[in-house]
Amino acid sequence: MTRGTFTGLLASSTARRPWASWTAATAWGASAGLSAAAGLSIAAGLADLVGSGGDAALLVATGVVMGLLGVALFTRVGRPDRVRAADVLAATTFALATLVVLVAVLYLLTGATRRVDDALFEAASGVTTTAFSVIDPAGLGYGLLFLRAGSQWVGGFAALVLGIAVLPFCGFAQEFTDRSRFGGSRPLAPTQRVAIRNIALLYVPVSLTVWIAYALVGVGPFDGLLLAMSTVSTGGFTGAGGTFDDPAVQWVAIVAMLLAGTSLVVLWRLAVGRARGLLGSTDLQVYLGMHVVAVVLLLAWSGASGLAGVRRALFTVASSISTTGFALDSLDGWATATPVLLLPLMAPTDTSGSASGGFQILRHRALLKLALREMVRQLHPRAVVRIRMSGRITDEDTLRQIVVLQFLFVAVVFGTGFVVAALGLDLATAISAGVHATATAGPVRALDGTVIEVTSWSRPIRMALVPAMLFGRLSIYPAVLAVAGLATVIRNRVRLGRRLRAARHRGVE
Amino acid sequence: MTVLHSRWVTTTGHVAGIALLFVAAGMSLGAVIELFDGTEAPAMLVAAAVTAVAGAGLRYATRPGTIDRATVFTAVAGTWLVVSAVGSLPYLLAGTFSRSGVGPLIVLADALFESVSGYTATGSTVFGSHNLITDQGAGILMYRQFTQWIGGMGIVLLVVTVLPSLRASGLGLISAEAPGTGGDRLAPRMADTARHFWYLYAGLTALIAVALLAAGMTPYDAVAHAFTTASTGGFSTHDASIGYWDSVAVEMVVMIGLVLGALSFTLHGRALATRRLVHRKDAEFRGYIGVLTCATLLVTLMLATGGGMGPARALRMAAFNVITLGTSGGFGNATGPGSDGDFAAWAAGPQFLLLLLLVSGGCTGSTSGGVKIMRLIVGVSHARRTLRGIRRPRAVLPVRHGSGTISDSIVERIAGFMVVYGMLVVTGTVVVTALGTDLVTAISGVIGCLGNMGPVLNRAGPTASFVDGFSTPARTVLAVLMLVGRLELFPMLLMAVAPYRSVRRSLRHRSG
Repeated sequence: MTRGTFTGLLASSTARRPWASWTAATAWGASAGLSAAAGLSIAAGLADLVGSGGDAALLVATGVVMGLLGVALFTRVGRPDRVRAADVLAATTFALATLVVLVAVLYLLTGATRRVDDALFEAASGVTTTAFSVIDPAGLGYGLLFLRAGSQWVGGFAALVLGIAVLPFCGFAQEFTDRSRFGGSRPLAPTQRVAIRNIALLYVPVSLTVWIAYALVGVGPFDGLLLAMSTVSTGGFTGAGGTFDDPAVQWVAIVAMLLAGTSLVVLWRLAVGRARGLLGSTDLQVYLGMHVVAVVLLLAWSGASGLAGVRRALFTVASSISTTGFALDSLDGWATATPVLLLPLMAPTDTSGSASGGFQILRHRALLKLALREMVRQLHPRAVVRIRMSGRITDEDTLRQIVVLQFLFVAVVFGTGFVVAALGLDLATAISAGVHATATAGPVRALDGTVIEVTSWSRPIRMALVPAMLFGRLSIYPAVLAVAGLATVIRNRVRLGRRLRAARHRGVE
Repeated sequence: MTVLHSRWVTTTGHVAGIALLFVAAGMSLGAVIELFDGTEAPAMLVAAAVTAVAGAGLRYATRPGTIDRATVFTAVAGTWLVVSAVGSLPYLLAGTFSRSGVGPLIVLADALFESVSGYTATGSTVFGSHNLITDQGAGILMYRQFTQWIGGMGIVLLVVTVLPSLRASGLGLISAEAPGTGGDRLAPRMADTARHFWYLYAGLTALIAVALLAAGMTPYDAVAHAFTTASTGGFSTHDASIGYWDSVAVEMVVMIGLVLGALSFTLHGRALATRRLVHRKDAEFRGYIGVLTCATLLVTLMLATGGGMGPARALRMAAFNVITLGTSGGFGNATGPGSDGDFAAWAAGPQFLLLLLLVSGGCTGSTSGGVKIMRLIVGVSHARRTLRGIRRPRAVLPVRHGSGTISDSIVERIAGFMVVYGMLVVTGTVVVTALGTDLVTAISGVIGCLGNMGPVLNRAGPTASFVDGFSTPARTVLAVLMLVGRLELFPMLLMAVAPYRSVRRSLRHRSG
């Protein structure tokens, strides 16, 4: 029956006059955001029933309204003849932005906060899996705690869909995705639809496994669920303080963060029995190697030692590299260089096709090879040097896109840093905040290693970080295209110059 | 043939030998001044004699031939290393950096740092409250100013100007030393172009000296500061730098001089030849002036609203410091620590803007450092082209620079440069912080030294010394970065290729 209803809705949508590609994609994006928020709200409402149930009715009712609005909007769209890749990318931005706004509305409706800016910041931090938090979780009911962690879980899933099922099909980094059916193998993403299914087939079981692991080491079922959702999505929201006091919980979190930062392609190959040659993957080797090197440096630059020291260092490193943002107290004798080491770690060292933010190892490898090629060309200006990644020649367009992405990434980091510095943050914290927000990597540390509470920052500073979080979560390009598209639409609608000329013309007459 | 007779050895020796003769001339100038006003004349004379003998020895013992690209990089980078090392002799012989409680290795490191900072026209200094500039002799200070002048336009450019035997390889050598000037010729022959550049440079220096004299400086100070203004170097003969005069007129002259030094000398040459202001048609010039103007206005606004200064005072402080860092000058107009001109004591907003200016630098074909505005313009244009290409996948979109287009090969070269630059900044920052520096001082120090800027933020600001901000190992890393940045990354990074090939060939020859 459900299938019949949706087929009918789809048929009614296709029967309408086709909309323009940009308008249809925007509407679909908003519809997707509404649907995701509806699902999240209803689930949070049901979760609230486990506790006092005070917000359950409100959350479920709001979820139903959002769902209906989403379906209604979806059915209104006249399917265009062709949807441009740029508009698909812009639509993902609108989907994420809509989700942020609706989660903020839920925070406001349930009274989790009374301030619009706080609600928006918390929602953006959740959906983008950043883990900057301004709401004290100790005062929240089960429903809101679920909403908070669930927004991260949905955000993590959205990031995977964007990275594996959207961007490669829109002309980005196609060489790097697992699409080939060569030799009868089962790739992760042969088509968009199958890719989304496969992502769900991995994401949900991994989340359940982590939940069970947390439960086995003594975390309560509900707290374990929240923690699992935050860990697998590389989100980083935690409940009340003291979550990671137990070493066993730390070990579970370490393994889960390592998994979450690993490419889904690796997990997929393990799942379908294509593990042969997996350890030879340069990405995986670099990913694991970075953990080892960073732990050694962290131990060398602090007074920590023994198994406890290694565990705490590994926890801190895995949290940074996977951009999860779980934070322990600083290690003993934290050296000045340690937070500086963690900054570049969270920007580049997660693997492609994972829920982590940042610039990703694969792209850095491409940049490194580009740098080496430039050196070769300095010596042999006429040489034709091709760059190989994973045994295949990388397309020059892909390399250009990576270079531009790096340019835009740095521009967003420095732009955000400048704005928050102008709004009153000190220079070191401003640089760190810019990197953390763009890499969606959670709490900022001071130079002595202590975690800085974002509530100590002014409201304008917090709001200035929201665009960076969104840009970072969307891998920059979709957000830039959405902004550019919106600017073009506004410019075409307003046509200020033409109106001024017309007004001047009327004045002359 | 042994390694010692390899082309890279003979070419490097030849170019470095002639460069040392110029260095010896600078030391002699300092010695003469020291004879009249100072106590270190013997040390300066000995340094000049040793340098001249070494230079002449290298010049006449070696003979350059036809050279390939790898040898060009080795020759240029080797020359800069030799000049920087030998250039520290006067400081060592005069005991400039000797002080109680400091070992000889640190003294050696400080002398090398000051020499490298001078020849690369960086302007970072290890003088400070522990070792005042004003305690030094007039001759040694003039030599210090001269190092920036000779390094500002380029030592190898100077060598090519005077050496007929190098003319065949001149273009390669000049391109390796300063990529911006190599392609923009003012004359059909490269040696003539080099000569034109030096004439322009000398003329600009003389003009600035006269203007500074008119603004109230003594003849000695005017000449000394003209050397470091035209070269966008930033060394001063006073501890408070330009803040010593606290004069709007002096600051105006320095600002104009720095901007002229940071503009393309090719444009200056063409303007003089055609007697027209050809600058305004140049996209890089327009972009550069736009960047300086916007940055000045923004910093003025932030200083006037949050810095407790009146609008006029804020404009003066903003304009001077934006220009001095935006041109890679590195002068300061602070009258003391915490004064209005001490940008290290400003709020974080304007400091962040100055940090961005440390990256951007001046125009190609100028004496300034940094990434250069042209590369940033091409970078932005390339990003726009890529984003447009996503919206219109079938469109053929060129990368535009002004009214022209830039070929993809140049865009790739610029992209490669930016990638290497970014990697050096990140790696350098981690290394310098690991050597005991805080984040802001480290990142600004690395960017500043890579861009040959001078004073940087936080603990190495305009009223502080690099000794205050960085440990001795960290300063050594920064000195290496200055050389890497001065030669626009690649020559220094690739200087080992030719020796490596030569040694490998030699080993094969022996085993064969």
